[in-house]
Amino acid sequence: AKTDGPSVFWKFSLWGKRRAFTEGAEMLSKRLAEETNGKFKLKIFYGGQLAKSRENWDGIKANSFEMAGICNFYHPGKNPGLMALTLPFLPLGQSFDRDAAVREKLYQHPILKAEAEKFNGIYYMTTNLPQYEFLGKGKPPMDLTGFKGMRVRAGGGVGKAMEKLGATRQTVPAPEVYTLISRGAVDAASFPYTYAHVSYKVHEVAEWFTANLSPGTSDCPYILNKTAFNKLPKQYQDLLYKLKPEALAAMKAAYKKADDKNLPMFKAKLKEIRYSDSQLADFKKIAGKPVWDEWINANKDKFDAQALLDVILNYSHSNIKN
Amino acid sequence: MFLKSLDKFLSYFEDNLILFSGISIFIVMILTSFQILSRVMGYPWPGYLEISELTISIFAFLGVAYAQKMDSHIRMELLVANLKGRIKWLVELISSFVSLLIVVILIYYSLLFAIDAYKIGDSTYDYLYPTWPAKILVPAGFFFWALRLLLEIIGYSRMLIFKNESPFGIPIIKSPEELAKEEISSIRD
Amino acid sequence: MIFEKLLQGEPSGIFGIGYEDPNTVGIICIIIILTLVVCGVRVVFAASIAGIIGLVELIGFGPALGNIGAIPYSKSVTFVLGLLPIFILIGFLAYQAGITRQLFEAAKAWVGAVPGGLAVATVFSAAGFAAVSGASTATAAVFSRIAIPEMLKEGYDKKLAAGVVAAGGTLASLIPPSAILIIYAIIVEESIGALLLAGFLPGIFSAIVYAGIIILWAKFNPTLGPPSRKYTINEKLKTLPGVLPILIVIAVIVSAIYAGWATPTEAGSLGAFVVLIMAIYNKMKLASLKIALIETAKLVAMIFSIIWGVLIFVRFLGFSGLPENFANWIVSLPYDPYIILLLILLGYVILGMFIDAIGLLLLTLPVVYPAVILLNGGPDVTADQSPFGMSFNQVSVWFGIIVVKMAEVCLITPPIGLNCFVVAGVRKDIPVTDVFKGVTLFFIADILTILALVMFPAIITWLPDLMRS
Ligand code: NA
Ligand code: NA
Repeated sequence: AKTDGPSVFWKFSLWGKRRAFTEGAEMLSKRLAEETNGKFKLKIFYGGQLAKSRENWDGIKANSFEMAGICNFYHPGKNPGLMALTLPFLPLGQSFDRDAAVREKLYQHPILKAEAEKFNGIYYMTTNLPQYEFLGKGKPPMDLTGFKGMRVRAGGGVGKAMEKLGATRQTVPAPEVYTLISRGAVDAASFPYTYAHVSYKVHEVAEWFTANLSPGTSDCPYILNKTAFNKLPKQYQDLLYKLKPEALAAMKAAYKKADDKNLPMFKAKLKEIRYSDSQLADFKKIAGKPVWDEWINANKDKFDAQALLDVILNYSHSNIKN
Repeated sequence: MFLKSLDKFLSYFEDNLILFSGISIFIVMILTSFQILSRVMGYPWPGYLEISELTISIFAFLGVAYAQKMDSHIRMELLVANLKGRIKWLVELISSFVSLLIVVILIYYSLLFAIDAYKIGDSTYDYLYPTWPAKILVPAGFFFWALRLLLEIIGYSRMLIFKNESPFGIPIIKSPEELAKEEISSIRD
Repeated sequence: MIFEKLLQGEPSGIFGIGYEDPNTVGIICIIIILTLVVCGVRVVFAASIAGIIGLVELIGFGPALGNIGAIPYSKSVTFVLGLLPIFILIGFLAYQAGITRQLFEAAKAWVGAVPGGLAVATVFSAAGFAAVSGASTATAAVFSRIAIPEMLKEGYDKKLAAGVVAAGGTLASLIPPSAILIIYAIIVEESIGALLLAGFLPGIFSAIVYAGIIILWAKFNPTLGPPSRKYTINEKLKTLPGVLPILIVIAVIVSAIYAGWATPTEAGSLGAFVVLIMAIYNKMKLASLKIALIETAKLVAMIFSIIWGVLIFVRFLGFSGLPENFANWIVSLPYDPYIILLLILLGYVILGMFIDAIGLLLLTLPVVYPAVILLNGGPDVTADQSPFGMSFNQVSVWFGIIVVKMAEVCLITPPIGLNCFVVAGVRKDIPVTDVFKGVTLFFIADILTILALVMFPAIITWLPDLMRS
C-alpha cells in the first residue's frame, strides 16, 4: 500500500554518530521513502550539524528543522515535567514494551503536551533509553552500604539517589570518565546500559558492573515540529504514525543487539553484581521514594508533579503486555 | 571634536571590559587549581565545573569590541593594503557596514535566545544554575562591538568625503613589521 | 517573485534554489566567503555573512536567524574551550618566570660544542620552552632577545641566527600546550588529550631535524657558526637547576593526570598556576601581569570570535550537506589516496601564504577534514583496511598534527610569515629579508619533517595510542 502525495523534504537533527539511539530515526526515514516512492524524504543529520545537543528544543522552536531528538537531562529547565522520567528507582526496566508504553502515556499528559507546545513541538515517540547501570573499579558495592564514600559519576535522579546512599557525586564530562576511572579519581560511573558504557570505553577500565540495580534512566524522545507537521497532507501525517511501531521495533532490536554483543564481554571481564529483590526494595525505600518526594516538593508551585509521577506508577503496574 | 569624545567614551568601556575579562581568566585559573587541591584532599566543590563553564561567556564576548579597536580580528589585508585613495576607503566602508549589519542581527537574535532562556528557566544540566546571565553576555559584548563599528563607519565616511583628513577612529592597516612590534611589546620585562 | 519569497520568510528567497540543489547553494556561499575574505572583510564577519545568506536560502529568514542566534553562545561556552585562555596566559607568565634564559644557558653548556652549537642550543631550549608556551610568535619573540645577541657575539652568521629563532618558535604549537591544537580538536571533535599528546613526538622530531641540518651545514661552512668552547662536566652540572622549573611544570601536569587528581583539561590550569608562582618568585611586576592579562584577553576574544563565526558558516554547510558530498567526490577521484593527500597539503602551503594559521585551519577543515576521513575509509575503518594504514582515531589525530605543522611552516614563509617579522622587529639590525633567507634551510627541514610524518605515522600516533589502550 503506497502513499501518494507531494514532494516533502524533512530534516532530522541528531548529535553524535549513528548508534542504537538513532536506529528508530533511520528506520523511519527508510520506511517513509519506501512508502511514498521517495517523495517524503527524511534526511538525518548527525554530529549536531543542525543544532548542538543542548539546543534542539530551540531549533524546533525556530522552525530550523522538522524533527529532532532531545534528551531531557541536557536542559532540565526547558522540560521540567519530563524530568519525572529521570527519578531514581521507578518501577521501570522490566520490559522494553512496557516501559515504552508508560513513556508514551506520559507524553499524552496535558502538562507534558504544554511543555512541548512551548517550543512548537509534539512528542512523536520515545527512544526508550535503557536503565542506567554502574560500572566501576575498586571494592564492588555488594549491598546498600557499598556505595557509601564512593565517588560516582551520575547525573540527575540517579546522582541524587547515590547521595542518599552516602556516595559523593562528581560532575565529569562523559569523555573524561575513562581516564578518571582508570586513574582511580572516580570509582564508578552510570550510563545507559550497555551501549553507552561501551561507547565511552568504561568497560575497558572497570572491574565490576551492576546487572540489575536499575537505578533510573532518562528520556530522549523524538520530537516533531508542530508547524511542519500541520503543513503535511493528511495521508503523510497518518503515515508518520502508522510507521511508529516499526521505528520503535528497530530501537528495541538495536538495544538488544548491543546487549547481545556487550553483555558477554562484561561478564567475561568484569565481576557481575546482582541484587536480591529485598535488597532492591531497600534501595527503593532509601534512595527512591525520598528523592521523588523532594522532586514533587521542589516543583509544587510550577506544575502538578505528583500527577506526572502517578501516571508512571499507576500505568507501569497496570496490565500492559510484557 | 565629536569623534574624539565618542572614541574616548567607548574606550572607557572597552578598556575596562578587557581588563575585567583578563582578570576573570586569571581568577578561573587560580580557582580551578584550588578546586583540584581541595578535591584531592577530599572536599570536592560541587557544581564548580558547571560554573567554570559558564564563565567562558565573559572572556569569549566581553572583549570583542576592544579587539576590534586594536584591529586584532583576523583578516586578509593583502588587497586592501594595496588599494589607494577613495576606492580604498569605499571598500573599507562597505566592509565595516556589512560587519555592523551582522553584529546588529546577532545582537537581536542572541538577545532573543537569552530572553528565551530566562523565560523558560533554562539551566545547566546537573546543578541547575540559570544560563541566562551567561547568555546575555553575548548581546552585551556585541553591543559595544556595534558601537565601535559605528565609529569606524563614521571614520571611513569622513575619509571618503574629505580625502585629505588625517585618519581617525579607523584601524590603520598594520604592516607585518608593525604587527611584529605589537607581538613583541606584549612580552615585557 | 524570488524576493517576495524572501520578504515572506520563505526558503529559496535569494537565489531561487533552496533545497532543490543545496550543493549549488553551498558553492555560491563558498565563493561569497572567499570573495569577502579577499576584499579584507574580517574572517568572523565574512564567515557569518556567507553562513547567514546560505541558511536563509535553504530554510528561510526566521528559522535561519533563530538557529544562528544560538551559535555564538552554544559553540563558545563548552568545557574544553575553557582551556584556550589558560594556554595563552601560561606563555606570558613563563617569560616572566625567567624560565627562558636558564634553559638557554643549560642547552649551551650541553650541546654548544657541536658545529653551529649555539644555534642547536637555541633549537633545544625553544623546544623546552614550548612545554610552557602555547603560541609560536611569543616564543620567537622571547628567543630573539635571548639567543640572537649571544650568537652574534660569537660571530654567527646573522641570517642563521635570525632563521633559527624564527623556526624554533614554531615548535611551541606542536609540543603541548598548544592553542592551535585545541582549535583543531574543537572543529573536528577529536579528543583534546589525544591531540596534545600526539604533538609531542613530532615536536621533538622537528627539533632534531632542525639540529641535524644546522650541524651539517655548519660543518661544511664553519664560518656560519663556530662551535662554542667545551664546558667541563662541573659547569654542565651547574646549569641543570635552570632546567628544573620546566621539569617541575611538566611533572606537575603529568603526575596530576596520572595520579588521577585532575582531568587533562584541569591539569592545564594547574600548570599555569605553578608557572604563576614561579613568576611571582621571580619578582614579576604587577604592571607586567596586567599587560599579560590584557593581551591574553584580547587574543582570546579574537580566537573565540573567529571560532563561532566560522561555525556559523559550518552550520550552514551542515544544512547543505556539501561536506558530505565533497568527501564522496574526493573519494571517487581516480587517484591514489596519497596523491590526493599531497595535493591537499600543497593547497595548505599556498593558502598559508596569505592567511593566518588559525584562520586557515578554521576556514578549510570543515570541508577538508571529512574528505580526509572518508579517504581513509570512514569512521568505522580498521587500520588494516585503510589506505593510510590507520584507524579513524589515528588518522584524525595524524592529519591534525600534519595540518598544524603545515600552518606553522607558513609562519616562516613570505610574504606574511609572522615569526620572521617578529625576529626582525626585535633586532633592528637584521632586515626581514635576511630572516627569510635564514629560514630557507629550516623550511627545507620542515618539508622533510612533513614527509617523514606522512610516511611514518607512528611518530604521531604512538603516544595517543598508548593513552587509548
Ligand atoms: Na607549546
Ligand atoms: Na601565514
